[in-house]
Amino acid sequence: MSLLHLPPPSPSRLTSLRNSFSVITLNSLRVSSQRCRFNQSRLTLTPTASLTVDSHSPTTSSGRGSTEEGDSPKVLLEVRDLTAVIAESKAQILKGVNLVIREGEIHAIMGKNGSGKSTFSKVLVGHPDYEVTGGSAIFKGENLLDMDPEERSLFGLFMSFQSPIEIPGVSNMDFLNMAYNARMRKLGRKELGPIEFYEVISRKLDVVNMKIDFLNRNVNEGFSGGERKRNEILQLAVLGADLSVLDEIDSGLDVDALQDVAKAVNGLLTPKNSVLMITHYQRLLDYIRPNYIHIMDDGRIVKTGDISIAKVLEKEGYKAISSA
Amino acid sequence: MATVTFSPPFRFSPISSFPSKFRTRTRFIIPPLSSLTPRAALSDPFVLEIAQTLEDSVSTPSPSSLPPPPLQKLRDTSSESILSMSWPTRKDEPFRFIDTSFIKQSRIHPIPIPSPSSDLAGISSDTQFPSLVIVDGHIVPSASQLSGFPDGVYVGSISGISSEAIMEKVLQLVSDFHDGDLFWSLNGIGAPDVTVIFVPAGCQVEKPLHLRFYSREGGEIGSNYMPLSSPRVLVLVEKGGEIGIIEEYSGGDADKCYWANSVIQLALEEEAKIHHSYIQAQTASAAHIKWTFVRQESSSNYELVEISAGGKLSRHNLHVQQVGPDTITELSAFHLSVSDQTQDLHSRLVLDHPRGYSRQLHKSIVAHSSGQAVFDGNIKVNRYAQQTDAGQLTKNLLLEPRATVNVKPNLQIIADDVKCSHGAAISDLEEDQIFYFQARGIDLETTRKALVFAFGSEVVERLPYNSLKKKVQSHVKALLETTSGGAP
Repeated sequence: MSLLHLPPPSPSRLTSLRNSFSVITLNSLRVSSQRCRFNQSRLTLTPTASLTVDSHSPTTSSGRGSTEEGDSPKVLLEVRDLTAVIAESKAQILKGVNLVIREGEIHAIMGKNGSGKSTFSKVLVGHPDYEVTGGSAIFKGENLLDMDPEERSLFGLFMSFQSPIEIPGVSNMDFLNMAYNARMRKLGRKELGPIEFYEVISRKLDVVNMKIDFLNRNVNEGFSGGERKRNEILQLAVLGADLSVLDEIDSGLDVDALQDVAKAVNGLLTPKNSVLMITHYQRLLDYIRPNYIHIMDDGRIVKTGDISIAKVLEKEGYKAISSA
Repeated sequence: MATVTFSPPFRFSPISSFPSKFRTRTRFIIPPLSSLTPRAALSDPFVLEIAQTLEDSVSTPSPSSLPPPPLQKLRDTSSESILSMSWPTRKDEPFRFIDTSFIKQSRIHPIPIPSPSSDLAGISSDTQFPSLVIVDGHIVPSASQLSGFPDGVYVGSISGISSEAIMEKVLQLVSDFHDGDLFWSLNGIGAPDVTVIFVPAGCQVEKPLHLRFYSREGGEIGSNYMPLSSPRVLVLVEKGGEIGIIEEYSGGDADKCYWANSVIQLALEEEAKIHHSYIQAQTASAAHIKWTFVRQESSSNYELVEISAGGKLSRHNLHVQQVGPDTITELSAFHLSVSDQTQDLHSRLVLDHPRGYSRQLHKSIVAHSSGQAVFDGNIKVNRYAQQTDAGQLTKNLLLEPRATVNVKPNLQIIADDVKCSHGAAISDLEEDQIFYFQARGIDLETTRKALVFAFGSEVVERLPYNSLKKKVQSHVKALLETTSGGAP
């Protein structure tokens, strides 16, 4: 426990440290996650510091999240003891999720199928299939759970869908224009007609490496898996977000598409905004480097660490983590 | 939803062949009950009365101005067939879901030829295509614009045909269809003219022909006075020919009451191709009943896109008859009921030859609590129609409590080596689609409007001409704006 209160490491120390994940650190990590994950004292720490403590092996490739020593970035999202059920069957999926995300951080949630990762991301954006039964989610200081889905979006929360739905009869261009104008209205800025908006959007297409005719097609209709994911990122590029939840943005992508999507996401990052990735595979984490990796199991985050957790996962599977 | 039964509601007495060009015309005499002949025993006095009125409206004053033989033949066969018909009621299967009584309760008055000096200012000319204007069933040459067709193409009144060969073909086709109903026959009796469109063999007409049907005469609502027009068109495309037809209906004053009883026949010879766009935008109090009869020879290609949004009562009877193998038939329809109105499509596709390919999509939106949509789509795959590939789908969106849709997609298959599918869906908007919009910050009202509009777009987008597509889109948009359909 006392380890958690170590001062933040200096940048030179961070860069010199190598990944040296071990079963022992895993054990200590698990203990800490069970006992005091994200409690009050945790909030005083800079994230990178806690990483260092947990694993003795920080990966600081991005160096994000602790730009100034001792000056902790603001908390963006704080989820406490969040529980949720499927609205129809009342089956409990989330059994007390705790998570804190600060400005500029990249987090990844990994876990087996059915562990609740996707449910968690859907609950955050207010999907009607799920009902929150307890706990809290504070986003930018406001109660997220009180907001309608569109308010959450306008307030700066974006989720890329795992399987974006087809909208026959609505062109991608019109859809983006509607979403863009909703945002402009919220910000009290001028809404754009189709011609002005075309100017805005055509510049963004390069971000996801898509051709202009992409805009004339109906939303996701007949899109390949890769095109759907690119389209989600295009929406993110046009709308912007303080926190982007990327739900399996890597599934169904070949390496080229994955690189394009990752490059686009990296290009959108600023010291202020944050990303929460949901993924099965370490592959994505090679392209978008997280500060934190959380392991989800049976509706809870059971372990938090750095990129080295993912390496253990890749080699030995979830068993190595849950049995460790 | 599907059924595989079909029982014709009317039994028609076989039409005798006409050995001579002229035949004495059947006169309608409404007999006193006691003197009914056995055949007339089935007659409906109301039907005979309308038939009589219609016949009087087209009767020619002197023998010197006799109608061309095909028109005479049409009138004769129609008069013949009507003797055994009665006004439909809800007990007749094809009319189970529609109420035609408001027509029956009106004083029906066939509209005479407008005087040449008539004011045609109300008829807009916003078309970029060659167009033929037909006002209350009568061609108005002065308002039409028919230049630019290739040599050999004929567009105009049946009386203007000079080629004997064409006249002969028209004569054969004009009363070639024996599965019509009362309204088919009433049109045959009352049609003042037949508009003939002839495309010779191998001729591909680049620009579509825009047929603009306009209803100008109307009775005041509540006046019980219902003017009736009976426009009739025959399209004949010879081997390898190709043309696009836009058939558009509209009316004048929004609060006028009228009845348009229209028929279009399309005959496609071998390898002929017709793209047919049908836009029904009659005024809100109108009755609109239309027949489309298509005859497809081998390897011909017929594509129909229908958008029906007007009228208080709109009924489209569509019959496609395959008369050779390897035909392609694509039928799409979008029906919109935004007020106390009924949109009805009864379609029948009869396949008698091998390797026919057909797709049918019907979509309807009912956005009013007393609005209604009806679809009865029958596909008959007969014994010799092996390797038929037929698909049929109907999707319906009900936006108000008590809004009604009655759908009956049905396949009758006798051949044993075929690929056929059909389906029906009736729903509100899809939750997942709504959520996708909301997740991008778009409010519910905007979302619903966009999704409702998009529902019809699937069909509207199939219209082949951009200017027409845009015009229809803004019309549909305006109609949807008038409803609460966009609101949660």
